[in-house]
Amino acid sequence: MMSRAKPGRIIMTEWLDDFLWRAVIAGLIMVAIAAPMGCLMVWQRLAFLSDTLGHAAVMGVGLGLLLQVKPIFGVLAVALVIVFSLSRVNSLNNALSETTLAIISHTGLAGGIILVGLLPAPTINLEAILFGDLLATTSGDLLSLLLTTILLLLLLWRHWRAFVAVSVSREIAQAEGIEVRKIQFLMYVMIALLVAVMMKVMGVLLIAAMLVIPTTSARLFSRSPEQMVYISGLYGLAALGAGITSSFHVDWQTGPAIVISATALLLLTLAVMRLVKPDLD
Amino acid sequence: MATETLLRARDISYSQGKRLILDRISFDLRRAQITTIIGPNGAGKSTLTNIVNGLISDYSGAIERSAELRIGYLPQKVYVNRLMPLSVERLLRLTRISSDAEIERALAQSEVAYLRQRQVHSLSEGELKRVLLARTTLGNPDLIVLDEPTAGVDVSGEVRMYQLIGELRDQLQCAVLLVSHDLHLVMSQTDQVLCLNQHLCCSGLPESVSQHPEYLALFGQQVSDSIAVYAHHHDHEHDVSGETGAHHHD
Repeated sequence: MMSRAKPGRIIMTEWLDDFLWRAVIAGLIMVAIAAPMGCLMVWQRLAFLSDTLGHAAVMGVGLGLLLQVKPIFGVLAVALVIVFSLSRVNSLNNALSETTLAIISHTGLAGGIILVGLLPAPTINLEAILFGDLLATTSGDLLSLLLTTILLLLLLWRHWRAFVAVSVSREIAQAEGIEVRKIQFLMYVMIALLVAVMMKVMGVLLIAAMLVIPTTSARLFSRSPEQMVYISGLYGLAALGAGITSSFHVDWQTGPAIVISATALLLLTLAVMRLVKPDLD
Repeated sequence: MATETLLRARDISYSQGKRLILDRISFDLRRAQITTIIGPNGAGKSTLTNIVNGLISDYSGAIERSAELRIGYLPQKVYVNRLMPLSVERLLRLTRISSDAEIERALAQSEVAYLRQRQVHSLSEGELKRVLLARTTLGNPDLIVLDEPTAGVDVSGEVRMYQLIGELRDQLQCAVLLVSHDLHLVMSQTDQVLCLNQHLCCSGLPESVSQHPEYLALFGQQVSDSIAVYAHHHDHEHDVSGETGAHHHD
């Protein structure tokens, strides 16, 4: 994927014009949407749902190839079918069952791998699907990522109070006039969209990491829901920077490099906090 | 004014699958009155409150609410995820916009003004219940629905909590619907008791309900237990007692 030889200044500048800038922009867009969505999903204990949709996305990729449409449409279709079915069985008071999610997750992954294996060999780079291929972001990818992110941010802005209220207590929210079922369903559909666009950058197996790890770091300092969103955006940004840099210089795969950076930042933060406030639990 | 009916429930029935949970329940909620639902575990108390405040809609029967009835609700369990940073003040502003003065007033009324800046997950059970009681009073509610507001609160805190609920009713002139496991503790603050065990066993003034044979059949043992708890409490605290509270309010 990457040339191991250190490129000279001039060649590097050409590359910057090209794929590296696209990768950086795609990463920035992803961070902008992963921060608020990640916080909401952690608050509502939905992080595992993104993992499920990610794993099952492999099935979507396979279906996309089989039907000869872009993989992202296959992924989106599978994710939407899953969230529609889940929202039918999920009543007001029941959180999603871990067992159900685990079954969907691994059946989707296994089925997807078999499906991809059945197809003529060189059509697909399975590794890129599983772990992301940020540096191969095309202008088309960038456009769909940008448009989806704008849509998601608008929905978040419009319904933020309701999303936060539902995260605290569905019962209070419902009794005080918020249409909890609608908000919840909207959240599910938004997660399906998010997974479809994040797949390109992070790979299906690592999407949940980008939603959970910067959020966990941010929680250590935050005193309000909004503060947590902003701080996790900063952590996401730092992880993205470190990940892309190491990917470029050491030739690590981008998705895993971003995840390792995010975890390193979390551990570093914990260590610093322990030094500053030794009584931290 | 004092007798304005805010909510009229007629023949409310509710089943889950084949299991009948509520069987033809009828009652009225009136302004400035406290209605207490008592009944054993599984009697349908929470189900009934959830029907009143709109959480459950697939019941049979009819509920007439007065136009634009504003409800404040304190659920039986609120579990705030530790991963969510949330101050008490923000919890009060969860579903509506309130001024600083309104927040201050609501917290002071429930005697928890000092908790305003605290994080919700650091509160004790008793503090959280007081804060949740305060938030039900924001936005001028016509009806406050309190599902076991004293679960997890110690006995002296429990007595004070019921006194506070009585004071809120007096100040806000709202109707209160209260779920309790213990009639004796709430008796002095209650205008109407609904004794529930799937059907309405009996209803009316607390004094008459506590003598009703169906009530005694359901609660005979528990009543003597609660009196024992009461005596114990009285031994140790002299300033706050249920009985003195009762006389204050008559």
